[in-house]
Amino acid sequence: MTEAAALEATPSHSPLDAAAASVLAPSRSAIDASVRPVVIGLFLTATVWLLVSTILGALAAVKLHHPDFLNFSFLTYGRLAPAAENTFVFGWCGAAALGVGAWIIARTSGRVSPGHTLAAFGAVLWNGGVLVGLVATLGGWMRPLNGLESPIASYLMFFAGLALFSMWVLLTFHDDEHHSLAAMFIIAAFVWLGLSLLTGNLLIVTNSVTGVVQQIVAAWTAGAVTRLFLVPLALGAACYVVPKVTGAPIIAGSFARVMFWMYFFCAGLSLAAKVPGDLLPLWLGATAASASILIVVPVAALVYILLASAGASHHGAGSPSLRFTIFGCGGLVLSSLLIALASLRSVDSVVRFTLFDAGIQSLLVHVSVTMVLFGAIYYMMPRLSECEWLSSSLISFHFLGAAYGSSMAVGMLLLSGLAAGEAISEGASSFQQVMEVGSSYFWGNSISFVFVLAAHAAFGLHFLLMALKIGQPAGEPTLLRAGSEH
Amino acid sequence: MSHSGIIFPGIIACFAVSLTATVIVPNAQLGSLSPEFKEEDGRVVDSYPVADVSLAARGKEVYVSQGCQSCHTQVVRGSDTADVERGWGARKTVPRDYIFENPPVIGAGRLGPDLANIGSKSWRNEPADDPYKPEKRDADWQMLHLYHPTAVSKLSNMPSYSFLFKTHRIAGSGDKDALKGLPKSLLPQEGFEIIPSADAKALVAYLLSLDRSHSLKEAPAVAATAPAGK
Repeated sequence: MTEAAALEATPSHSPLDAAAASVLAPSRSAIDASVRPVVIGLFLTATVWLLVSTILGALAAVKLHHPDFLNFSFLTYGRLAPAAENTFVFGWCGAAALGVGAWIIARTSGRVSPGHTLAAFGAVLWNGGVLVGLVATLGGWMRPLNGLESPIASYLMFFAGLALFSMWVLLTFHDDEHHSLAAMFIIAAFVWLGLSLLTGNLLIVTNSVTGVVQQIVAAWTAGAVTRLFLVPLALGAACYVVPKVTGAPIIAGSFARVMFWMYFFCAGLSLAAKVPGDLLPLWLGATAASASILIVVPVAALVYILLASAGASHHGAGSPSLRFTIFGCGGLVLSSLLIALASLRSVDSVVRFTLFDAGIQSLLVHVSVTMVLFGAIYYMMPRLSECEWLSSSLISFHFLGAAYGSSMAVGMLLLSGLAAGEAISEGASSFQQVMEVGSSYFWGNSISFVFVLAAHAAFGLHFLLMALKIGQPAGEPTLLRAGSEH
Repeated sequence: MSHSGIIFPGIIACFAVSLTATVIVPNAQLGSLSPEFKEEDGRVVDSYPVADVSLAARGKEVYVSQGCQSCHTQVVRGSDTADVERGWGARKTVPRDYIFENPPVIGAGRLGPDLANIGSKSWRNEPADDPYKPEKRDADWQMLHLYHPTAVSKLSNMPSYSFLFKTHRIAGSGDKDALKGLPKSLLPQEGFEIIPSADAKALVAYLLSLDRSHSLKEAPAVAATAPAGK
């Protein structure tokens, strides 16, 4: 067995784990067994939503250049685009994030989860919220709130589901001073999401805020789902998976904790930037823009710390978990740089309302968060289902398809947005001329979905086999070629 | 030093700062806006904006339900953009424009033109001297555009909303709302006509009601300068 294989193997024997195992009563396999049905169930539903939203997203992409393709009222671009995005964010990312979070908390706390009832109800409610949102949006029961288009019932189900699920997670959470950075990120993400889903939706639905402030609250709530739930959760997952695979603990622990607080403080103040500056009080626009720029510091610092820790170790080469996670972390840094760039007034006046925004959101959620979640799932599933992934070629195919496909989509959206933004700044052109400039990239965007869809379908198949315990015997991990050559 | 002990109070403090700065203080500033009144001899002679209780209010629901806001904004941006020059409005829009809208339909992006002032007579989407500029964008034009966008706007990338219309046999002298000015290729068969549904009528009423060009003290209307037209 290679060194990397030893670390990636199901009964993990990393030095960290060995030390931890000697002092903690329940074995890791007992902890894994206690969360298995809930976590695998969540991953299964997440994978279904991933495929559904990718198909809807592909259809929406085709409609950018063929607006009358499959022209039914429930399949117009206006409904498809938010339906696809919300299903992706809450259905795929959200459900997978709950599963990843719960498992890492159980593992870092070293406690066996007591029962599944709370978590199962929570997971069912969460997935019910996704279904209600999808059906309602395609049926036309939607709200004109960017990122919160689904009806209020959907968000109440998310909140109730999250509350039950969080209670279950907190029952295993062991709060002591040796707590890992990963657990801090995950707990903070759960707390923030619960608070903001409840506060934001209640403020809007009760008309406690009116007019433009409803859109500010919507931006604050929807933005928190991405920036204060999914991104911190991805950072937390990376902080867990990378040291586990490489066997090297995270260096600069205290500094990393300062960056943790800086991230939450700045991200919390950055959310209003989604609302056009002319509709915000001047000071709020400036605060949100400054916070958006400052976010680069903690994200880049945390990713640097992770990479430096990983780089100091020779373990982990060929680990699929590591490859997906590192790719996703790179995406996080790049997207925070782009968010900072887009918040500059001169850039904002060009790219605001173009597909540049969609490109950044895509880079953040469809590339960065998604790849980290894949990395975590590749790491977790062998431990949960007690067998190894069947095929390294299938994992390679998934990685390449997802990496190229989703990066290509991001590139096309960003370029299209820049081109259309430049053209729209020229008042003497007609709007049709503006759209022609941006539309050159729409075909590329559609083609990218072919790669993404093939990659995700491969993952779906592979995951299903793992859930059915069809894989290689436990013990020898499935590594990518680069690693097995060592 | 224990870091995890402060995680709950710490994260709630960050949340409170975010809530205060992004929601509570802006709401205190913007939530109390009222219409701007003009008085003469103690009488209110002008008030803007006004709450909409007409067919247009139903039309707004149709607009949202069809997802129009995914491609159309209703925000005219300020001086560092070409929005006013394009003919999308006589001035930038400001929070006071939306005080009766809960929530305002500001839109997600611009795959189509901004519609903040689509009901205004001076609204345009092409240079003022464009030879293909439609004479007017009235209810008939809007109906045709919804039914088959490229019939009136050749390069339009908007999908057809023909499912908001019905084709039926002409009875008597025909329906007064039947689509007029259809190009030959879109004409229904002899003896039939295409009529808009109640939703289509409400939607067009809403579009024609959209006019935020009324001058406000924080956003005085600026004359849209006619572009050079290249």
